[in-house]
Amino acid sequence: MNSPLLAAEGTRHLLLGNEAVVRGALEAGLNFASCYPGTPSSEIPDNFRLLAPGGRFVFEYSTNEKVAMECAAGAALSGAMSLVTMKHVGLNVAADPLLTMTYTGLPGGLLIVSADDPGCHSSQNEQDNRIYARFAGLPCFEPANAQECKDMTREALLLSRASQQPVMLRTTTRIAHLRGPVLFGPLPDNPAPLVPFVRSPGRFVPIPAVARARHKVLAANIEEIRAGVEISPFNKTRGAGKNGIIVSGVSRAYLHDALLDNEKGLKIFELGMSWPLPEKALADFMRDLKVLLVLEEGEPLLERDLSALAHKLSLSVEIRGKEGPLGIFGEYSTRSIAQAAAALPGRQKQAEQNAPNKNLTALTDTDLASLPGRPPNLCPGCAHRSAFYAVRKVFGDEAYYSSDIGCYTLGILPPLKTADFLFCMGSSISAGSGFARFGKTVVAFIGDSTFFHSGMTGLVNAVFNRHNILVVILDNGTTAMTGHQPNPGMNQEVLGSGCVHVDIETVVKGCGVGRVAKVRGFNQKALTARLTEMKEETGVRVLIVEEPCVLYARRVLKKGREMRSSVARQDESVRKCFETLACPAFFRNETGMGINPDLCAGCMVCMQISPSFAAVKGEKP
Amino acid sequence: MNRPLRIFLTGVGGQGSLTATTLLARTVMDQGLEVVSGEIHGMAQRGGVVESTVLLGGFHSPTIGHGEADIILGFEALESLRALPYLAPNSFVFSSSEFISPPGVSMGRDKSPDLATIKDIVGKSAQGSCFLPINALARQAGAVQSANSVLLGALGASGLLPFGPGAMRAAVEKYLPPQSIKANLRALELGEAAVAGQNC
Repeated sequence: MNSPLLAAEGTRHLLLGNEAVVRGALEAGLNFASCYPGTPSSEIPDNFRLLAPGGRFVFEYSTNEKVAMECAAGAALSGAMSLVTMKHVGLNVAADPLLTMTYTGLPGGLLIVSADDPGCHSSQNEQDNRIYARFAGLPCFEPANAQECKDMTREALLLSRASQQPVMLRTTTRIAHLRGPVLFGPLPDNPAPLVPFVRSPGRFVPIPAVARARHKVLAANIEEIRAGVEISPFNKTRGAGKNGIIVSGVSRAYLHDALLDNEKGLKIFELGMSWPLPEKALADFMRDLKVLLVLEEGEPLLERDLSALAHKLSLSVEIRGKEGPLGIFGEYSTRSIAQAAAALPGRQKQAEQNAPNKNLTALTDTDLASLPGRPPNLCPGCAHRSAFYAVRKVFGDEAYYSSDIGCYTLGILPPLKTADFLFCMGSSISAGSGFARFGKTVVAFIGDSTFFHSGMTGLVNAVFNRHNILVVILDNGTTAMTGHQPNPGMNQEVLGSGCVHVDIETVVKGCGVGRVAKVRGFNQKALTARLTEMKEETGVRVLIVEEPCVLYARRVLKKGREMRSSVARQDESVRKCFETLACPAFFRNETGMGINPDLCAGCMVCMQISPSFAAVKGEKP
Repeated sequence: MNRPLRIFLTGVGGQGSLTATTLLARTVMDQGLEVVSGEIHGMAQRGGVVESTVLLGGFHSPTIGHGEADIILGFEALESLRALPYLAPNSFVFSSSEFISPPGVSMGRDKSPDLATIKDIVGKSAQGSCFLPINALARQAGAVQSANSVLLGALGASGLLPFGPGAMRAAVEKYLPPQSIKANLRALELGEAAVAGQNC
């Protein structure tokens, strides 16, 4: 294994924040890692997967975040230094075990990596998971650069092992996906020793009497950890003056760039370890301030805590947080922080000079808005497009479409328009069931990985409660959206000897569904026939649409196209196919309609829709 | 020469602009300079716009806001235009002169500004600009996949970076897979030659 993540102590490497987390875990002596993938966390487990064959630690892709959390916690009970990764919304799924494992504690140590997504770059909400640190009782580290991603991961795992309390490393999209230089520390010769498990049901089985007592232990442990946070090297102060700034997360980087050494008259407290709060250090910092600016993306958590602290200590400091250019929505920026800092008393009025100069470009806002857009789209050769086309042909606007999380959420785009509502992973079947209770026809779409994640329970419920729903399982054989991670539906050959393929059709039948059919995703005739039959039926019906993700087929399964399609006759049927299938390989110019030979993946779905397309021998695209 | 620089890179999913971004950032690091780089993944991979950044000389944040970019590298002509609001005063644009049609343009619904219009707007917005047919030059270099290196070569030869074109060549040799080094070195040279001959 020749990964740069295994390089020697003292070497420097340009790493993604997520890669640096992996190196930090190795330096701590990690024994076990699990995850459910999700942007912006996915490169952490992707790298664990690459390194796991080296035998330093055990790694698994779990079926969902709750399962990943429980496996990691179980491993930590068994004495392993463990780590679990997920995106922010995944922590909601895993919250149930989390809020009790902080009571029991975990002897081997467990680090929870939560990758938040302020600004919703690739998520359905922008929840602030620092709330979980407060809610569950988790010491929390917040790195602001690649070096800290490594250093804090190592430190957090060691703290978790020493305190036996689960610990959180909270990143955000900008941190997870920045690249910066990382100076490597030593890799231990061996992973951390396992902590022997001593049976103690009075600690590890939280029946009410145990839970009541353990809640107090948690509170005491957090106080003990707080003493360490007071002197943590990740919390740093500098400067002097009556204006203070307390800053955490990526805002630390923005603040640095906003001030660029122009820090005269400012006192700055950088909070790298942000929970529990170092209250003594913060009180000392605030004591002589006139104005305090609190910089934190997301919810005003520090702002409220510091206001409460100032109140308790009867400090007269004026606390500014979520006001002016700084709000709870989206991301902060160098500019917004520069504006907030410039508004502090006595600071030069920099706000104007930090405003974007609209005259820099000969382009107006109107010009910009009228440029042709480039929205994300289902790929040429994506079988989801074929399935959506058939469903829309059979159901049109008669049905309501319950969507789910994956590439197929892009079915929302016209002309396919096969997404009417969506909440979260696995909601398609259960939300669709409830929706259908009130006299509406519902077609639910769910992918293979999402089905295993949390679609199965909804399916059992649909059978159990006699719901009336057509579920279309879009089985492309991989977790496509996040970069082709394994899931139980993946074929055995790709999974290798470490994992076992689980057949979706067998699971569906095992859930008690009586009406199940399976078709190939590119077979329009079979798709249309099964959908037409199922449209006339009632109860729970499941159509499994099987066809590998086109990118996965090309990259992993090494399958190229044999033929490609072209327009043979410029006629009405081609025009109609262009408008209803809308494959990105289609184009129209002065000479008429055509298919881009570089983009066509050879799925030949268009040929089944109109006789005016012709197959051409297709060398590899 | 060692002033801090913010470089904004933009392209279309599938063009490999993130690979070019990482290569540029590694080049900077290997010159012993401070660097941070950023990218946004996710939905953008499905044919959307891919934006990334390289900031050198002491910035901590991996982001670039409107009005802050000293240099824009546009791997597709329309995306170079779309990125113009990021330009800072006295800044430079290095762009592909070739297009990848967005779906609306392919289907004849939308109309894209032509190259002359784009060059005109860029010329009025930036202190200097360089447009190169990067895909055509990459084919000339022996591999269309080396198109991004044409633009990196042009940037490297421009004198705007605190190091010369040799640094970029060393990074190509050090970090790219062996089978693609030759074409990428040739692509760098074609980009460098275009700048040297003021042929862009």
